[in-house]
Amino acid sequence: MNAKRKATKIILYILLIGLGITMMVPFYWMVISSLKLNKDVFSIPMRWWPETMHPENYSVIWKKLPLLIFFKNTAKLTIITTIVQLCTSCFAAYGFTKCKFVGRDLIFLMYVTTIAVPWQVYMVPQFILVSKMGLNDTHLGLILMQAFSAFGVFLIRQFYISIPDELCEAARIDGLNEFGIFRKIVFPLGKPAMATLTIFTFTNVWNDFMGPLIYLKTKELKTVQLGIRMFISQYGADYAWIMAASVCSLIPIVIVFLSCQKFFVEGVAASGIKG
Amino acid sequence: MSGEKTSFLTSKQRRKIRNNLTGYAFIIPNLVGYTVFVFIPVIFSFVLSVMSWDGSQRPMEFVGLANFADIFGDKIFRGTLVHTVSYALMTVLPTLVLALLLAVLLNNKIKGVAIFRTAFYFPYIASIVAVGAVWNMLFQPDFGPVNEILKFLGLKNPPRWVVDKDWAMVAVSIVSVWKYMGYYMIVYLAALQGISSSLYEAASIDGANGWQKLLYITVPMLTPTTFFVLIMLTIQCFKVFDLVYVMTGGGPGNATKTLVNYIYEKAFTSWEFGPASAGAIVLFAIVLVITLIQFSGEKKWSKDL
Amino acid sequence: MRKKQLVAALMAGAMVCGTLAACGGGSTPAESQGGGADQTTAAQADQTTAAQSGDSAKEASGEKQVLSVTTWDNDSSPQFQAVIDAYEEKNPNVEIKIIDTSADEYNNSLGISLSAAQPDPDVIWVKDMGSMLQMADKEQLMPIDDFIAKDNFDMSIYKGAAEQLMYNGKAYALPYRNDWYVLYYNKDLFDAAGVEYPSNDMTWEEYYELAAKMTSGEGSSKVYGSHNHTWQALVTNWAVQDGKHTVVEKDYGFMKSWYEEAVALQDGGYIQDYSTLKTANIHYSSVFKNQQCAMMPMGTWFIATMMQSQAEGETDFNWGVATIPHPADTEAGYTVGALTPIAISAFTDQADLAWDFIKFASSEEAAEILADQGVFTGIPSDAAINTIASAELFPEGDSNVEALKYVHYSFDRPLDPQIEEIRTVLNEVHEMIMIHSYSVDEGLAELTERVAEIKGWN
Repeated sequence: MNAKRKATKIILYILLIGLGITMMVPFYWMVISSLKLNKDVFSIPMRWWPETMHPENYSVIWKKLPLLIFFKNTAKLTIITTIVQLCTSCFAAYGFTKCKFVGRDLIFLMYVTTIAVPWQVYMVPQFILVSKMGLNDTHLGLILMQAFSAFGVFLIRQFYISIPDELCEAARIDGLNEFGIFRKIVFPLGKPAMATLTIFTFTNVWNDFMGPLIYLKTKELKTVQLGIRMFISQYGADYAWIMAASVCSLIPIVIVFLSCQKFFVEGVAASGIKG
Repeated sequence: MSGEKTSFLTSKQRRKIRNNLTGYAFIIPNLVGYTVFVFIPVIFSFVLSVMSWDGSQRPMEFVGLANFADIFGDKIFRGTLVHTVSYALMTVLPTLVLALLLAVLLNNKIKGVAIFRTAFYFPYIASIVAVGAVWNMLFQPDFGPVNEILKFLGLKNPPRWVVDKDWAMVAVSIVSVWKYMGYYMIVYLAALQGISSSLYEAASIDGANGWQKLLYITVPMLTPTTFFVLIMLTIQCFKVFDLVYVMTGGGPGNATKTLVNYIYEKAFTSWEFGPASAGAIVLFAIVLVITLIQFSGEKKWSKDL
Repeated sequence: MRKKQLVAALMAGAMVCGTLAACGGGSTPAESQGGGADQTTAAQADQTTAAQSGDSAKEASGEKQVLSVTTWDNDSSPQFQAVIDAYEEKNPNVEIKIIDTSADEYNNSLGISLSAAQPDPDVIWVKDMGSMLQMADKEQLMPIDDFIAKDNFDMSIYKGAAEQLMYNGKAYALPYRNDWYVLYYNKDLFDAAGVEYPSNDMTWEEYYELAAKMTSGEGSSKVYGSHNHTWQALVTNWAVQDGKHTVVEKDYGFMKSWYEEAVALQDGGYIQDYSTLKTANIHYSSVFKNQQCAMMPMGTWFIATMMQSQAEGETDFNWGVATIPHPADTEAGYTVGALTPIAISAFTDQADLAWDFIKFASSEEAAEILADQGVFTGIPSDAAINTIASAELFPEGDSNVEALKYVHYSFDRPLDPQIEEIRTVLNEVHEMIMIHSYSVDEGLAELTERVAEIKGWN
């Protein structure tokens, strides 16, 4: 029995290691190719370790590509969008759960009916509208169009519902006003839901490609994704440079991901269960 | 509701008004933003779908259902529906099965779970442009690593992947499975942890082996999660754009053009906002049907459990 | 708390008003603009006067004026930057803001900002004549006849090129650049193979043979004999090179042999596969710069790109220019080309300044500056060719200078109001033929049918 268990465990490890390596091969290939000469990227037979290292590829692309600006833009968009979405969603969720007002259910119904409408359905009119406001090719336009989501309100609301009303009632008797109740009681209790929403919005905005593709035209405003894409279309046959640029585009997200891995995993798990 | 008037109201009425005002104060920032940037565009997209407009200063014209007749008469549009469905068929099931498999493997008491979890989850976090670039090179038909390996394994004429109109969608699907299964693996992991261990203990006492436990306890207990994952994946497949855009640009010869690629090109390349919005409404209808299935399914599961 | 609520409410109010106004404008532009041409002109005149007063006010206060221009691939070619720098130097109180996009997304993104009718960009470098017609048709470009009349601007310096940019009897742009096709080759690769350089008098048959001869190597070190970029122009141009046909025809049978040759070149492995180039989105310049092809038919604009690349030390191999090969039944020196117009956006708030800029950009003075960089402008002259030929990084040898001359010039696309729509069909069919989805005959039959449909010939 014990031997059998051991064998199972070994098979399990072999399986996991094999799968893990397969998953990571593209990234490994990306890194080694970024250190080769352009002409050696596709050498036959394939080389899994470059003969000579060419880290100068990185300094070449650093000169050709304003990566820092792209990172700054992406970070700015991501952080502001996440904060705006978090704040407005929490406010609204509190309004929907702990306040009674005329038309509450009707308005909430409007949110619910549109929650399932994919962005792709209304991206065209939304773009026309944002353009008419003169916000095409600005960060503000991109932030505003992404910052208000029914999903966020819904997610936080589900959490706030589970906070007993008696808690708020008690605070009201103690003389706290509504904003005070929100700030001192409900808001701190809702942190887990906020963490979920933060991770969700953060990854979405950071990795968003189509939004910036449609909205951002000026080079100085572009995001990492768009900037790398622009670089690829210009230097299509400079394989090593493309790989070096790709590696650079991944570094910040790797750092963020590794340092906040716990939240990422919990966030996905929570959003998955609640839907 | 001016000040002097309020004084004539009873305290109950006054409180009601104040409640209303507070309620609205809380929801107004989101409500306004949502109305302007989501709700109005959603409505507007229905309006646009029956209009003819090229985005210029010229006025729109009402054309009724002509846009729908137009796109359904368009060979390319019908093609995009076929491609999108075939993408979904090739993606949904493998992603689901692999995600479940990985989750079950990782749910064991082993060392280094976090490392494996990171490895499987990482492709999901990686930016699509970088991922598209590296896979395009891996799939390079003449001397790319994938085909080199296939040739090494004895395959004489390996597929030409993204440059072959019959294989391009397969290549995109493979990348999609690779990229998204880690995400659903985490969803499954969370669900697995919710299964009470007493069930497994009872099964052990009855002499069930690991395989039987998986088949008779784990999989049935995960049915609601599987249903949820299935729905999410299907919807996600119908919305696919960026992976196709960075890997093949819809080619070769429209072979990988999906519904959203079509909408994008109609709107932002050809300036035909009418047909683009009609395409968007078709997408909406598809997603709506899937969502309705989800609702009825959810009702069923909540009754069962 | 009160304060916060108030701020939120104000913001909300402002946003709603803004949107309603915007929506009104979006759905019923008829009210504000009017459908008639008179009203439009009046509106434009208003804009012009408004812009004028704005200009003078700013000039008086000594404030810096900002003019925004749109460019493509600005990093890899000096064609825009050289003129922009020269203009800024001459007009220190003007700052030029560049909106740069990659070449393949240029028309797309320009269309987006124009459809929003925003005041930026002011000046538009138009990528091709077809999109100029399209923009003029949508009234997105400002007619410049009034400016021409006011300044008594002499259009004869362009030797007829400016007339090519008229639409419905109005001038919408000045010819900024004039380019035609030549054949680039990599001298080092020819030397290594011990093959003579391409001559200035070569038929297409001779070129095909040469391409086959120059193909060598395997895998990633394979050198292709030639390189056809994915544009349909790189096949259809040669079909219209003799000047007997254009790309808008009632019967496309005349393209048959050209497509057969292109497909044969690809299938023989003498040029890179169309679908590889297309899906991997490979720019032709990186193929030539990485020495992956021995020859490449391309427009004269690529001279400047190569010169800049060498100046920056990005490439260091020797290259040369030859006359584009010619069909067997014409003499050497028949070529195909196109104009690059420069125009003013109809929505500009800086009309006068924009006019001043485009006037400068297509002036003789700018032509000299550009010739130094290897760019051919809308003002054709032997002097310009000599300047380019004497540039330090221009390839040495008389044959290279000879290659810049032509005896006959056809436009790669006719001035047809529906040309963009037709080119979409051309591109689609081109792709289908090149990836073997259609046989050449099937493709050309579909082309004939769909173009006839667009033109209403059936």
